[in-house]
Amino acid sequence: MKLDNVSFSFHAGQPIIQNISADVVPGSILSIIGPNGAGKTTLLKLMANQLKPTSGQISLNNQFLAKMTRKQLASKIAVVSQQNHLYDDMQVIDVVKMGRLAKHHLLATVEDKEVLPYLEMTRTSSLAHRAMSHLSGGQRQRVWIASAIAQEPQYLLLDEPTTYLDIRYQSDLMAVIAELHKKENMTIVMILHDINQAFKMSDQLWLIRNGRLIAQGAPSRYYDEKLLSDIFNIPIHIVTIPNYGHYIIELTADSF
Amino acid sequence: MTKREIIWYSLAVLLLIVSIWVSFMMGATPFSSSQIFSAFSGHNDADLNILVQIRAPRILASLVCGGMLAVAGAISQSTFHNRLADPSILGVTGAGSFLILIAGFLVPAFPFDKMIYAFIGGGLTLLFLSSKSLLQNSFKLIIIGVALSLTFSGFQQLFSGDSLVGTSTFNGITWSDTLTLLITGVIGLVAAMILAPWANYLKMSDQQLALRGVSARFIRFWLLAVVVYLSSGATAEIGVIPFVGIIVPNISRYLVGHDYQTIIPLSMLLGSWLLLTIDTIGRTITLPGEIPAATIMTVVGGPFLVWMLWGQKFNEVR
Repeated sequence: MKLDNVSFSFHAGQPIIQNISADVVPGSILSIIGPNGAGKTTLLKLMANQLKPTSGQISLNNQFLAKMTRKQLASKIAVVSQQNHLYDDMQVIDVVKMGRLAKHHLLATVEDKEVLPYLEMTRTSSLAHRAMSHLSGGQRQRVWIASAIAQEPQYLLLDEPTTYLDIRYQSDLMAVIAELHKKENMTIVMILHDINQAFKMSDQLWLIRNGRLIAQGAPSRYYDEKLLSDIFNIPIHIVTIPNYGHYIIELTADSF
Repeated sequence: MTKREIIWYSLAVLLLIVSIWVSFMMGATPFSSSQIFSAFSGHNDADLNILVQIRAPRILASLVCGGMLAVAGAISQSTFHNRLADPSILGVTGAGSFLILIAGFLVPAFPFDKMIYAFIGGGLTLLFLSSKSLLQNSFKLIIIGVALSLTFSGFQQLFSGDSLVGTSTFNGITWSDTLTLLITGVIGLVAAMILAPWANYLKMSDQQLALRGVSARFIRFWLLAVVVYLSSGATAEIGVIPFVGIIVPNISRYLVGHDYQTIIPLSMLLGSWLLLTIDTIGRTITLPGEIPAATIMTVVGGPFLVWMLWGQKFNEVR
């Protein structure tokens, strides 16, 4: 996926994304990090064609997103949004089956066995016939990921997949994502709040501030206290923990 | 099918068969079961005439009409994401009925005219109600719907001197009316069964659907077309009958869960049963007089709806 000088603003207002040009390396895990309000979610929505750039172009395999049909897009790009709302209760397996709509016509019947692999990949097989309303936040999030990968996309876009999850669910979910990436060779693009998680998981980082792409590249290049302090606008220190490696600490002690 | 679904479906079918039989028995000339058997085996032409020419069309009409209204209600609730969004509450059937009345004064009659007027009136109302701001605000939707419904009802009274439901009756329905209703109903109900999975799809937001390559607007348009078709088909032949489309789908949902592929067929069966039962009661309890089904439905349906919404069990999930 290629972003070419992409800018975005709502109705002639303040630009939210400004002149971003970057490539997503196929088969990589890319994390977008930056402070709140930097434009991360907007950028992800642009990459999913949920929003159209005010100027600039985004292309996938040399085809402009703007020129692709809804169906073409759905079979190449899947998105797990930050908030996933259902108007009425559904069974887990039916939510996953909805992902198959990307591959079938609207009146097709999707058999249970067609979606079993996606349930397995996300470790939700045992939940198949449970109601969504009866699941925990972590389980629900995995179901939404199962529904997204049921589209068999090349790109899986995740907007803060670990928010609202406790530490155990966070690492469970990250393990699922890492496995998907490895086994299915899916390109993963995600927004992560936890900087350490982002540094540890990703092949590529995009550091965003005020709608601009400040830096991009391998995480190892950005264990840089000054750069990170600038981006997040708080003092940041990097410490080394034995058997773990670098660990980024936000020093907010002053404010307490 | 789950065990629960099998039980409720079987019960609904059983209820329906019993009610049909009882409805054949009761009326100005009551029949025993053996009299019905002997009439149908050709031993009593006078009895057979009553059963076939008077009771059968009326029974069939109320069955079809009940099924149509209940299914229209179920689909309407799914498209508006609102468990109160029934065509009669939203003023859809009222608009159709009012247009039939007005056009009756202004335009000479032609075949299927009532059906077409009901369809236009209902369609325009739904088109108005499915505007973006109303879709996002369920309270506003219901309040505007109720206001529309009352307005049409008022106009109806103004022009005809009769209330909206006062003219809705199965009394004196002929085989030809019944056949029209049957053909209209079967087409609409088959369409509803085919499109039932779409009602489930709309549990996801428009954005979620778009990400899966599906246009929510397309789905909503066709589901609402089925709603208008079914509710105006019934309105054109019989008139407005309130509450069937709101009570029956909610009971079905309570009995078998959240899947519209099971809610819609069960609503059809229970809707048929309800309207037949109400009509049978209406034409027998005040013999030789008669209480229109719509009147009973209003009197019974209102309090029932209040009771239903009062209890936690029926309340909205989200």
